Amino acid sequence: MIAFFRELDFHFNIGAFDDRLIAQKLVCLLELRGIDLGYPCSVYVRGPYSPDLTLDLYAFTREFETLETSSRLNPTEKEAAGELGRIFGLKPVLLEVGATYGYYAIRQECDPLEALRQVKRLKPFYSEAQIALGISKAKEFLFQPTKRDRETLKKETGIWQRASLQSLEH
Amino acid sequence: MPNDILSMVNESGGLNAKVFSLVRLKLLASLAALGPDGATYRELRAALDINDGVLFANLNVLKEMGYLASGKITSEGKELELYTITTEGQDEWKRTRTWLCRFLHCGA
Repeated sequence: MIAFFRELDFHFNIGAFDDRLIAQKLVCLLELRGIDLGYPCSVYVRGPYSPDLTLDLYAFTREFETLETSSRLNPTEKEAAGELGRIFGLKPVLLEVGATYGYYAIRQECDPLEALRQVKRLKPFYSEAQIALGISKAKEFLFQPTKRDRETLKKETGIWQRASLQSLEH
Repeated sequence: MPNDILSMVNESGGLNAKVFSLVRLKLLASLAALGPDGATYRELRAALDINDGVLFANLNVLKEMGYLASGKITSEGKELELYTITTEGQDEWKRTRTWLCRFLHCGA
């Protein structure tokens, strides 16, 4: 986990509420992406959350704060960390909304509307815009389009692309 | 484990009767799982679906009993109230939970 913090350039401070929140949601999103960090998440009053991670954050505060570890990320983990940083940018609200949506969509196998309803139920204090943005980030990070998805999309948008090319010719 | 209901019921003598309300049990159970991290007032209100008046009153009762502590934190520039369970709160929750588990097992 510390190696991920380092890759993300996340300078964790145990005294900062937002940093503890960011740590929780980073772990949850990485676990949802299929990276086993040993911190499985379940739903608590704070949304997807790992009590085991909390225990370790407090037990090994110095290591987490100084990013002290001999572990190195493998290429897959490095790629996931890079995308996580690029897509969410260590922003607590987006991470929280994204992790909550991802948890319900993937772990609880809810359909997109039900996952959205659960996000709104647990996080009613966030605006519609924040929720929409967080969900869009979660989809970008967690749901990689398959070859079939791309072909379907191409078929769906093809008619519009052809029409727009035709209009350019006139 | 005692095999008669009377001795089981009498084991409740060491428990704090004021904890036995649905709202207080929900609060203790929720906050015990989060340890020193705690939860903000707005998170508790949303997740437990408890209205403001009831939530605020019960949080204060648990604070007065020494089971919860609260303090201001800042998140994304907003000042929020954070509630955490104390060591006494964890101990009371553990005792309550243990007794409830024994009691319900006996009842089943």
